Amino acid sequence: MQNALYVSLSKQVTLRREMDVIANNLANMDTNGFKANDVTFEEYLSSKARIAHPSPADQRVSYVRESGSTTDFSEGSLQQTGGTLDLAIRGEGFFVVETPQGDRYTRNGAFTMNEKGELVNMQGYRVRGQNGPIQFDQQDSNITFSREGTITAINGIQNQVIERAKLNIVRFNNQNALVRESNGLYAAPGQTAQPATEKTSVTQGTLEKSNVRPIIEMSRMLEVMRAYQSLSSMMTNTDDLRKTAINKLADTTS
Amino acid sequence: MRALYTAATGMVAQEMSVQIISNNIANMQTTAYKKQRAEFSDLMYQSLRRAGANSSNQGNRLPVGLDIGAGVKTTGTPRVMTQGNLLPTGKDLDVAIRGEGFFRVLMPDGRTAYTRAGSFETDDQGRLVTPEGYLVDPSITFPQNASNIQISQQGEVSVLLPGQSQNTVLGQIQLARFVNKVGLQSIGDNLYLETDASGTAQISNPGVDGMGNLLQNQLEASNVSAVTEISDLITAQRAYSMNAKVVSAADDMLQSTVQMLR
Repeated sequence: MQNALYVSLSKQVTLRREMDVIANNLANMDTNGFKANDVTFEEYLSSKARIAHPSPADQRVSYVRESGSTTDFSEGSLQQTGGTLDLAIRGEGFFVVETPQGDRYTRNGAFTMNEKGELVNMQGYRVRGQNGPIQFDQQDSNITFSREGTITAINGIQNQVIERAKLNIVRFNNQNALVRESNGLYAAPGQTAQPATEKTSVTQGTLEKSNVRPIIEMSRMLEVMRAYQSLSSMMTNTDDLRKTAINKLADTTS
Repeated sequence: MRALYTAATGMVAQEMSVQIISNNIANMQTTAYKKQRAEFSDLMYQSLRRAGANSSNQGNRLPVGLDIGAGVKTTGTPRVMTQGNLLPTGKDLDVAIRGEGFFRVLMPDGRTAYTRAGSFETDDQGRLVTPEGYLVDPSITFPQNASNIQISQQGEVSVLLPGQSQNTVLGQIQLARFVNKVGLQSIGDNLYLETDASGTAQISNPGVDGMGNLLQNQLEASNVSAVTEISDLITAQRAYSMNAKVVSAADDMLQSTVQMLR
């Protein structure tokens, strides 16, 4: 009898977790470069009855628990912004930014420039080119990023096209092992970044929107909510059953 | 229930988005207004299980972690510095910039501000000023009896004085350019100030160094597109209500838990 309660409880705990993930996805549906998150669950079997601790149940009860969170790395839609330093990656790949904790990887290409003329992201971390930070001159205008990530600018004094740097776009053999950090950054513990393939390209003047699909998240949310409620009522029913049993079977008044 | 707070951050972010869109729409007819957009980023993640941790004593490792995010925050409201449309006005002192540059304006407190709104006037002393009465730098003074004001594409200001058949050059309008104009700080009245992020102003005559040309009798319209703003508004509104739905769904779940206790 207790098992029904505990099995329901284990499911309710995971449903709450799933709700948290849905809430985070929906909160970030307008965050550039955001990738939707999902939780996966697994069955958890109760341990077998042993001689030392004989269990009354001869059948093993299975509970549920979460096994991990996965990231949907599919491409988000592209939005035209017209910004010179707004970049989107098409295909597999990440920008590399230098944080105080080391290199981090991001799909959010909303960049700007710091007081030294270096290309930085919105948190002020420097974007890495293939030869270190990307540096512009005060006289530069008409900054252009090619499909392959080569950065050219027209320099005011010489009035000629100068190649400034090349963006460092990287990919990973196992994207699922990337660890999410805040601000759309990912860490790659135990993995080395590989240069992106030729299929990956950079588009200037566009940003990659979040790949959260609101309709799917909303229907998942309803499903989670209803499942949680039906479990609650099941637990109430189980409890009622027990209450009736106690009242009927242990009636000592007669 | 974490979902409640996470959805609340989403609602705050969308509120900010609506605020920015409404300011863009309000300034749709403002000369040389550059629209803003909200830039969001995700908050930190709580790692309940970390990828790569040992899952057994035999050295098996977890292929994926379990990370739960805490919501969203606004990181900035960068301006979209694209060129606005040019509107012919027929007024002699209306000047539009086609290109990268900014006019320089001397503020009453001695600072230099920058603007792209070229709807200039003359003050009581005949000096070229903005509609707020701030002097255009370098200063240009029109004599009382001047007529036929000409401003060339390269910024040369000339007038016809009585008794002369040729125009007399009065001065030169100069423009400023920034390596990162998105980094400029806006202070209202169509004015911007230089910041660390924008870089220092590069001053030069119009028509050289990628400054852009001047076009007399025209004004630069705002770069706000009504269609884009309205569709952004609809998106923001829907996103807000979806986050609100998460709050009520989380609340329903809590309520059903409470109802178990009878």
